[in-house]
Amino acid sequence: MELAGLLNYALFMGIFIGIYALLALGLNIQWGFAGLFNAGIAGFFAVGAYTSAIVTTAAAEGRIGGFDMPLLLGWLAAMVAAGLIAWPIGKICLRFRSDYLAIATIGVAEIIRLVVKSEPELTNGARGITAIPRPFGDLDYALSQMAYLAIVAVVLLVAYLMVERQFNAPWGRMMRAIRDNELAARAMGKAIERRRLEAFIFGAALMGLGGALFAHFNRSITPEAIDPMVATFLVWIMLILGGSGNNRGAILGTAVVWIIWSMSEIATDQLPSEYAVKAKYIRLFLIGLMLQLVLRFRPDGLLPEPLRGAARSDQDAR
Amino acid sequence: MKTKALALVGGLMAATALAAAPAKADVKIGLLGGVSGPIAAMAPAMIDAAQLAFAQVNEQGGILAGEKLVGVVGDSACSPQGGTDAATKAVNIEGVVAVVGPHCSGAVLAAAGSVTVPAGIAMVTPSGTSPEISGLDDKDTVFRTVPSDDYQGRALARTLKEQGYAKVAVAYLNNDYGTGLANAFKAEFEAQGGEVAGFAAHEADKASYRSNLADLSSGGADTLVIFDYGDGTGLTILRQALENGFFEKFVGGDGMKSDALFKELGSDNLTTFVASSPVGEKSDALDVFNEAFKAAGGDPDAIFVNTSYDAAFLLALAVEKAGGDKAGVAAALREVSNGEGEAILPGEWAKAKALIAEGKAIDYKGAAGDHNFDANGDVPGTYALFKIEGDAFTVVSEMK
Repeated sequence: MELAGLLNYALFMGIFIGIYALLALGLNIQWGFAGLFNAGIAGFFAVGAYTSAIVTTAAAEGRIGGFDMPLLLGWLAAMVAAGLIAWPIGKICLRFRSDYLAIATIGVAEIIRLVVKSEPELTNGARGITAIPRPFGDLDYALSQMAYLAIVAVVLLVAYLMVERQFNAPWGRMMRAIRDNELAARAMGKAIERRRLEAFIFGAALMGLGGALFAHFNRSITPEAIDPMVATFLVWIMLILGGSGNNRGAILGTAVVWIIWSMSEIATDQLPSEYAVKAKYIRLFLIGLMLQLVLRFRPDGLLPEPLRGAARSDQDAR
Repeated sequence: MKTKALALVGGLMAATALAAAPAKADVKIGLLGGVSGPIAAMAPAMIDAAQLAFAQVNEQGGILAGEKLVGVVGDSACSPQGGTDAATKAVNIEGVVAVVGPHCSGAVLAAAGSVTVPAGIAMVTPSGTSPEISGLDDKDTVFRTVPSDDYQGRALARTLKEQGYAKVAVAYLNNDYGTGLANAFKAEFEAQGGEVAGFAAHEADKASYRSNLADLSSGGADTLVIFDYGDGTGLTILRQALENGFFEKFVGGDGMKSDALFKELGSDNLTTFVASSPVGEKSDALDVFNEAFKAAGGDPDAIFVNTSYDAAFLLALAVEKAGGDKAGVAAALREVSNGEGEAILPGEWAKAKALIAEGKAIDYKGAAGDHNFDANGDVPGTYALFKIEGDAFTVVSEMK
């Protein structure tokens, strides 16, 4: 193990955490602030990844595009497409209460996954799209990872600042009011359906952006990447563990879960080789245990939602 | 409360960091496989087969200057996320000189695109069959010991046409394996003048495929070509097609060549069934491997074990040839198996090592074929058409 290797590994983890943090931030808008139980993250992730792939790859036979457009346009298109897909879904599904919404969104994500797998004209079907350009991909291994990490970090920072600003603005207060007491908010004349739809679309757009960054990093996107296990439930674990309702918590949770997930394999590799295969499942167990412990001892996550307004002055007075 | 949770996180991280202490000067090759995830049932046998190759190397004097060759198992989870993570760790933390795997095509594409190609590490996948892998911009570092689905599909189409099948319907599993085979088959079968009267994908693990089958048979074909797995959905489809008499004749890809067919359906009912499957080149290589793997406690009939073994053994030869230089492994891989030089059978490590030391050319004859890589790092593969006789598969004809 050399220093260069460690650096490369750290860069890789940084990139992955950045990408998943975008997904967690998107989910935080939907669940943490608007109380919308979206169990279809993988769907929006897929829409973003495939849209950007189609927009930015060179022309290919047998499927739509590629249009060979600049990268930024691809990422913008990814956000717009994910938002556009979210709009009709939200329009129909947001009338459902929490668990019904979860079921509906799981279904939607599954529909998107099956469309991706079954429409070769659109997405090249089960084979996936390859040769997706990666910015600074021609540089050396470490340098190119550094450049990509810088891009992901900037995107994440901008997203974080914007979301944070939005939450502290009147819009954020209104969203929390709707989440905590829908009737009261309605009585005050808030357009609840419309506001919820906004939160749903904003969150979905961020997830789409995360998908796009993921596809460009791997230079390929295949339906295997949008498995609900790795693209939906993992993000939920990250948000719940980090603290829903808190943007920094969402990012911290992502980092903690991914670091445990990835580094625990290095630890299990030290076991005797006859356990090498079986030991891989310890990682799944560790994540589960972690979630259990956090839910038991810190039910609001590692960084709970900051108290605001009246609740805060109550606590200060105590 | 807060400190408690933070201490826990810190403790876990410290434990993993400590455990990652540097190891001795072994030569390491990564074994990335879908240990968890959808192919969890297949992966352990494949990894065991690769480990068998390394065990043989170590028994016969080790690699390079007598160093131990170690397989580092990584869990690619059959997804791009898991594949890139496992590959990054293998390349950077373990410092492997080459990688066997990952097992699933999506993981192969992602791990190659973001890790092994930029790092210049040779990768040989024993089971990534997607045609997309051929076209990767890989600086000649990505190889495979399993033929592309494209190849098998085309070979099967030509063979069927020769055997007089004229009008067929195709049912394929909707994943990269089924889709790749089916599209290649359709293109070639139509190019040969055959008619594909039904062509439909299906999802795995449904209770009934009768409506799919009724649709497919409505085109008037008497033969059903199934690209699926014989111990899974493929069996269900075949059973329901037989029960309802939708088709008279049945053809399967290599995934359908499973003992489950005659065990579940009875060989009497399967007289009109044929399946294509890769066969070892006409040499003893496959027998040698089968015996060795059986002796090591493995099941040589498990899927992709021979390709896994070949990938591992080939990489060991290439590392020896390249003198342990990571950057030279990919080029050396072509030299140890290009059809020229002294033939090396599975397990003949001491002989190969001596020849390499003398500077003579060697040519590995693998359990799953000769593995003379083409420009894309693909192997042509040798296939035969099998039918069921008694309770066993017997060869009908070679496939060209």
